Amino acid sequence: MEFQRATPEERRLYYREEWDVKQIPRFIRDSLYQREFGFDHHGRGPNDRYRTFRNEDHLRKFMRYRTPFAAYTSVAFYQKPNRREGWIKSELVFDVDAKDLPIRSCACDSVCELCLDQAKNIVSDLKDTLTSDLGLKEIYMIYSGRGYHLRVQDEEVLGTDSEVRSQIVKYLVGAEVPRSEYGQEGITYNLEHFAIPFGYHQVFTQRIKQSILHLTMETALDDVNKKLLKDVIKNRHLLLKDQWGPFRQAIGPIRYKRLTKGLAFTNLGLVDAKVSIDLKRILRLPSSLHSMVSMKCTEVKNLNTFDPFQDAVPQFVYERKD
Amino acid sequence: MVGVPFINPLSLEGREMVRQLGSLEDLTHDNPELIGIVTRSKSQDISDDQDIPRNHLELALKRLEWYVKKRNNPNFNYRKYAFLFQGDIEKFDTISFYLLSQAIGVKFGPNSRESRLMAESQGSLIQNRLEELNTRNREEIVLKALQELLSQGTLKWTFFEDLLSSRRIQLSDLVLDQGEVIMDQDDFRERLGPRLHHRDPDKMYQLLIGEELRELILIQMVMQQTENYMAEVHEKSRLMVEPNPLLLQLADGVTEILTQPTPSYTGTGKVARQSYRGPLNREAFPPCVKTALEGIKSGGRNDAIVLFITPFVSYARLCPDIFKQNVTVRVSDKDPQLQVVHQEVLPLIYEAAERCVPPLFEDQPQEKININAKIGFGMHSTLKLENEGETKWYTPMSCEKIKLHLPYLCRPDDDCKKIGNPLIYYNRKNWILSREQAESGDKKEDEGYSGEEVMENQDNDWIDV
Repeated sequence: MEFQRATPEERRLYYREEWDVKQIPRFIRDSLYQREFGFDHHGRGPNDRYRTFRNEDHLRKFMRYRTPFAAYTSVAFYQKPNRREGWIKSELVFDVDAKDLPIRSCACDSVCELCLDQAKNIVSDLKDTLTSDLGLKEIYMIYSGRGYHLRVQDEEVLGTDSEVRSQIVKYLVGAEVPRSEYGQEGITYNLEHFAIPFGYHQVFTQRIKQSILHLTMETALDDVNKKLLKDVIKNRHLLLKDQWGPFRQAIGPIRYKRLTKGLAFTNLGLVDAKVSIDLKRILRLPSSLHSMVSMKCTEVKNLNTFDPFQDAVPQFVYERKD
Repeated sequence: MVGVPFINPLSLEGREMVRQLGSLEDLTHDNPELIGIVTRSKSQDISDDQDIPRNHLELALKRLEWYVKKRNNPNFNYRKYAFLFQGDIEKFDTISFYLLSQAIGVKFGPNSRESRLMAESQGSLIQNRLEELNTRNREEIVLKALQELLSQGTLKWTFFEDLLSSRRIQLSDLVLDQGEVIMDQDDFRERLGPRLHHRDPDKMYQLLIGEELRELILIQMVMQQTENYMAEVHEKSRLMVEPNPLLLQLADGVTEILTQPTPSYTGTGKVARQSYRGPLNREAFPPCVKTALEGIKSGGRNDAIVLFITPFVSYARLCPDIFKQNVTVRVSDKDPQLQVVHQEVLPLIYEAAERCVPPLFEDQPQEKININAKIGFGMHSTLKLENEGETKWYTPMSCEKIKLHLPYLCRPDDDCKKIGNPLIYYNRKNWILSREQAESGDKKEDEGYSGEEVMENQDNDWIDV
């Protein structure tokens, strides 16, 4: 399937015949009056900002008549959203963009089924960690048009500042090699990350496993040369059965250390960290059209069964003549 | 066995000691009991009267002086401060802690370098005091102090929000399960034990959590509470007409200690060289700064120019050794007439802003005001000395922050591996370049050089933090 820019006529068709304000997830509709909205009318960026809507009907009319190129809403809740003043809280958000994944097995220029699928798996892993480690609830998944957004509405984290959010990001993506040396009563014990099947060690193990399985000879990793990369690719079948010990042995402990360090640095690119730590970010409005690629930004109820090429394609795409 | 206030002066028992305190004025009088404890302390050096605190105020200053000296000089004489580690000084020490925190809170406020140093010194004191105890006493006092701090049954990770926000602990330091922090051994055995294969859960608990994590959390919580207490005092003092002169007197003593010239030392105990000062040397800029100065061509122009380049350029030019300084520094302390700022610092920042696509000030002229704010001159369109201090002079972002906020700028070279902040890269690189220049100059001129001096330089490890 080809990603093609939507014409103004197609946008009109979409917003007047296909779109319904009720398709906006309830977690946004319920707080409409506390959020800032932003719009991009000409495909040059969201420069129509500070918009607010008192109710769903006002928003419905605006969308139907202005048929924007792109629509956004703030992750923040404000007392005065039209001035972005009186910050109350912000959703915790993770943006996984298929085109920006640091390690991709596909060689596409933009996005394709393969990298979208890879993004979907990453989102699934991140959601698992948010639930199992951080105990967070009320997590919504949105297909953004070129990737996925995870939007956490759990009150536990809505009031946290950027620093805490940056720590959550680093934990979630496995951005640092876990400590491996532990001392007790003067003796030092070596415990590699894969020997500890819980907490951050486990998160790190899972993330680098996925990265290693997607490596290609073209992947650039900090301090990892072609020879090491070749050996990693040659031995990565061991990780399919979680045989980390033999894998580390095959690579060699010093080179393994370099590999994990390089992967940890790369992991930071799994999500767009700026989006997560920015408390006043605007994010694509679920249900709106991603006009650049003619896909719907839509809430994903079941990630396992969700297929963007089935569930996020607007009707007008099927009606295109060519 | 020492009491909880010896480790956490902000504990209930510690607060009670302060409540029972009589007149503040008495705290300036010589106290024979205190002098007795100090002079009788094990290993205490009593050869110089100057080293013996005679009252609470002097003891308060000695607490801070110990930390500053210890931090800056590995060869300093511990025996001059042995009394700080004697359990029977607890009552005097607790009151001194409150005096010092209040003085710093009133005079310097939260987020100052002085308050940061106070919290750090408290953390270091706890660490050293625990190390003086035998294993059993150490475990007991840590558990007792923690029990009070972590009074709730289940411990959610969000309980540590303050510590995470101030980066005193990392989320990855904690063992998390279903949103809860696992601290208790039975809990660990029951919840995580079944996931372990061929490993003894109790042994794993000792290694992964055990004493080490408990002590880390205790120390960091007390440090955080110390900072919060100073912030609280500062808030209250703003409502008061006149702070107690005793506290102001103590605050002056703090300034005196912190402004004393303190040479830095290398790992080998030699005096480290001074940071480079002078006109900006672009050759020594790290890759991220060079990239940002070329202009940002996509999103993130504002952050790159206002949050990243402005603090970096201003500190690199005016105060490159800021991370070694103990006191709060203002631009005018280094450039009283703001000449350097106008002639060298701002032009470089403006040039970088101009090179952005589109040029930053073309569509966002208000960012000039934000630049002024980031160097401490408040939200004003022109730099005026009378506005200085309305905002904070932001220190340069660390590499870790750059990776998160401005990842497209981070393209590390070999020298980046040794540093954690671009300003430290700049200082280090200047040193390397000046050394190379000196060596090649010597060769060119074919002048004799002192072999000893070269050896000295080679030994001169980089110790900047």
